[in-house]
Amino acid sequence: MTNAAAVPAPSSSHDRVGFSLNRVSVIGVNTLTEAIRQKVFIFLLLVGLVFIGSAIFFSQYSLGEQEQLKVIKDTCLGVISVISTLIAIVGTAQLLPSEVENRTIYTILAKPVRRFEFLLGKFYGSVLLLVLSMAAMCLMFGAVLWIKEQSMIRELSQTYLGETQAATEQANQQIEQVRIAVLDVNMVKAVLTDLVKAMLVASVTLLVSTFSTSLVFNVAVPFMIYMAGMLRGTAVEMWSSHRLAMAVLAIVPDFGLFSLADDINLGNLVPWAHVDQVIVYGLARMVVIVVAAHLIFSRREI
Amino acid sequence: MRIKILIAVLLLGAGLVLLPLENWVRAERTRLKYGGARVSIQLREAIGQNLAIALLAGMRGIVADFMWINGHDYWEKKEWLRQYRNIEVVAALQPQAVMFWDLGQWHMAWNIGYGVLSDPKNRTKAEGLKREHEWHEKAREFLERGIENIPNRYDLYFTMGWLYYEKLSKDCDQPPCHEAFCKAAEYFGKAASFPDAPQFVTRFYPRALEKCGQTRAAYEEWKRLWFLDHSKVAQSWNIIEREIRELENQLQIPNDERLFPPPLP
Amino acid sequence: MDAIRTEQLTKKYDLGWRKGRLLALDKLNLHVHEGEVYGLLGPNGSGKSTTLKLILDLISPTDGSAWLFDVPCNNVVSRLHVGFLPENPYFYRYLTGAETLVFYGKLCGMSGSSLKQRIEELLELVGLTRARDRQLSGYSKGMLQRIGLAQALIHDPKLLLLDEPTAGVDPIGSKDIRDLILRLKGMGKTVLLSSHLLAQVQDVCDRIGVLNLGQMILEGDVKSLISDQRRLSITVQDLPDDARARVEEAVRSAGASIVSVEHPQTTLESLFLEALKKDERGMGRHD
Ligand SMILES: Nc1ncnc2c1ncn2[C@@H]1O[C@H](COP(=O)(O)OP(=O)(O)OP(=O)(O)O)[C@@H](O)[C@H]1O
Ligand SMILES: [Mg+2]
Repeated sequence: MTNAAAVPAPSSSHDRVGFSLNRVSVIGVNTLTEAIRQKVFIFLLLVGLVFIGSAIFFSQYSLGEQEQLKVIKDTCLGVISVISTLIAIVGTAQLLPSEVENRTIYTILAKPVRRFEFLLGKFYGSVLLLVLSMAAMCLMFGAVLWIKEQSMIRELSQTYLGETQAATEQANQQIEQVRIAVLDVNMVKAVLTDLVKAMLVASVTLLVSTFSTSLVFNVAVPFMIYMAGMLRGTAVEMWSSHRLAMAVLAIVPDFGLFSLADDINLGNLVPWAHVDQVIVYGLARMVVIVVAAHLIFSRREI
Repeated sequence: MRIKILIAVLLLGAGLVLLPLENWVRAERTRLKYGGARVSIQLREAIGQNLAIALLAGMRGIVADFMWINGHDYWEKKEWLRQYRNIEVVAALQPQAVMFWDLGQWHMAWNIGYGVLSDPKNRTKAEGLKREHEWHEKAREFLERGIENIPNRYDLYFTMGWLYYEKLSKDCDQPPCHEAFCKAAEYFGKAASFPDAPQFVTRFYPRALEKCGQTRAAYEEWKRLWFLDHSKVAQSWNIIEREIRELENQLQIPNDERLFPPPLP
Repeated sequence: MDAIRTEQLTKKYDLGWRKGRLLALDKLNLHVHEGEVYGLLGPNGSGKSTTLKLILDLISPTDGSAWLFDVPCNNVVSRLHVGFLPENPYFYRYLTGAETLVFYGKLCGMSGSSLKQRIEELLELVGLTRARDRQLSGYSKGMLQRIGLAQALIHDPKLLLLDEPTAGVDPIGSKDIRDLILRLKGMGKTVLLSSHLLAQVQDVCDRIGVLNLGQMILEGDVKSLISDQRRLSITVQDLPDDARARVEEAVRSAGASIVSVEHPQTTLESLFLEALKKDERGMGRHD
């Protein structure tokens, strides 16, 4: 050991250790690099990419351009939604238990790191994983749309252009409609709410994994909560007169609120204000769940 | 133990606090007419167990697409009634989908209509015509429901106009039936009034007016179209010019009032 | 100010429903002074690791409290100046040795060239310079122990908590680690190490405490604990038999008694160290 001290000389007990986003992000990035090597994650992402890619072939069973594009969009956005939810569960379920099992957590918490920073770091890591995998799927989706657009335009121009003036005009208008449908920025809204939903699912999984170390439990319970949350909207409509039932239902987030893809693909008006409300709802739920996870984790014996 | 209760209270409390926002979002969905038919026992029977689960999992669009694609089978096998029921279910699943109403009525009025007309089981030609007419009516009634669901877009008004113009105009004692063309004109006019309607839609309105017998009104409409800004509207101007010339002859407009006077001798 | 102070520190583990609780540590009053090397000894299951985990707030005490440099252990500040090497340490498998140290350095708020320089120093210190760019999944047990030490030292802490630092390490490595502990002591660091290998701690520890079943049963200065003032042993070389008779005679005439006469055996450890010293090759060679 040389004499060069790398940190300022230790001072008295008046030192302070504030909450540090920097530590959170160091742990988060580290979590990501570990998580992307999980076989289940790679498998799920590949399945998602393959399904999205094959949407090109599904769509060939339908007739018109708009019909084909609708099938592609429904399928791809549906796959993105499902796969991101699964990645949120599977990618988060083992984050805390494996740290404890491998005892890597000892060395981390023995440093001046708050437990809350550690927990947030883990959560941030799974959010990064979600963003990354959703970005990959969106890229694939974009490629599929582009390929389809090109082939449709080629076909339309070969079939109609130059026949009669009216046919040319109609073909041009159809090509325009294809372009509009392909470049529908509203799809961003669907992907955004899906991301928030996946983050919410990840937070639920994180909460479950703060008190359970069983992989099966940590995957099955969040999945069941997710399904319950999907059905909640229907249940609320049916039982809205039962106060008690409503109160019990309130504990589960309404995951159905995040599904905007169908309406966006139909060209329904989906105002940003509405998207914002959904995002606020999701983030508020998520914050509460992360706080609950912290309450458990901060008291946990390691 | 205390911590468990605290957490339960926290989660429940947050849920209750967020309930108004949640209800608001849900009400907004209803107002904006998102979603479609609720999963009832009848619907579950119609679409099957697996698709019902997919539906509950939020994949309404995929379920509708899948059923729609499946429906092509019925068409190929000439199982008209099955095909019709399938169309009804798909439309109920996604009542906001222009595509399903549009293509659905097309199947009924054109494909099924032609199918029953040329059905070898018909004893007389009149029976075929009668059955075809019934399907035209089914298509009209179906499309009316479509318009109820999607009143704010030009698409289905145009489709309805086209149904009257092409099909219902043949369903009277002595076709072509004037009233049908007048109805067509009404719907084309409504469709053309949407600013985002494509230009070919605007040209169907005066055409139907003409066939309805309102030649003068048709002429005025053609002129109105002509006077739109040529540099801004991508219209087939030469078609309009041809129509105007024709009507100016037909209506015997004096030369000095004509938009396109004949060339000087 | 003590580097470590515990008062009535007690830990009972919940064994689960209807199985009661296990008393792992019973009213421990520990005082480790600044600058000393303290050895926490005891058989398996005596509560050594439990003590360390309590001090680091990894588990919370059933009763009593602990302080590091007078800061309560449940305050994150108390961990500013502590380095910890857990027993059988395990790290992120996909990181290389150097990346692992970057990770822990960043957790301690270090960055840039000072961190880089510190990492090179530490890799050199623990003898892993050649293995710095290999993933930890390919490290041997002893190498993991070394990277664990480096990790504990990354932020140059005042106090080191080493849980069985020589477990799974070969004799030469174990000697290296003991030398390192002495060097750290020379730099004014405080070290608390746990072990059940008594022979290994006696050269390095100033004081030891012996735990059994969660209770401190013996504590004191190593030298005074193991030296016996009434006895003296002299080791001589090449002593002829007649000279030996004269020595025994002199002892008897002085009124003392001879307790034992034997040929000292070299320890296996020193034999092993001797042999390895002759082998010039270092660890982690690439060839
Ligand atoms: N998480 C736990 N739950 C229940 N009992 C535990 C737990 N951790 C340790 N114990 C028990 O507490 C006692 C003390 O364990 P501890 O790990 O402190 O021993 P140790 O002195 O470090 O032993 P070793 O030399 O084997 O490392 C043991 O009887 C052990 O079985
Ligand atoms: Mg131990």
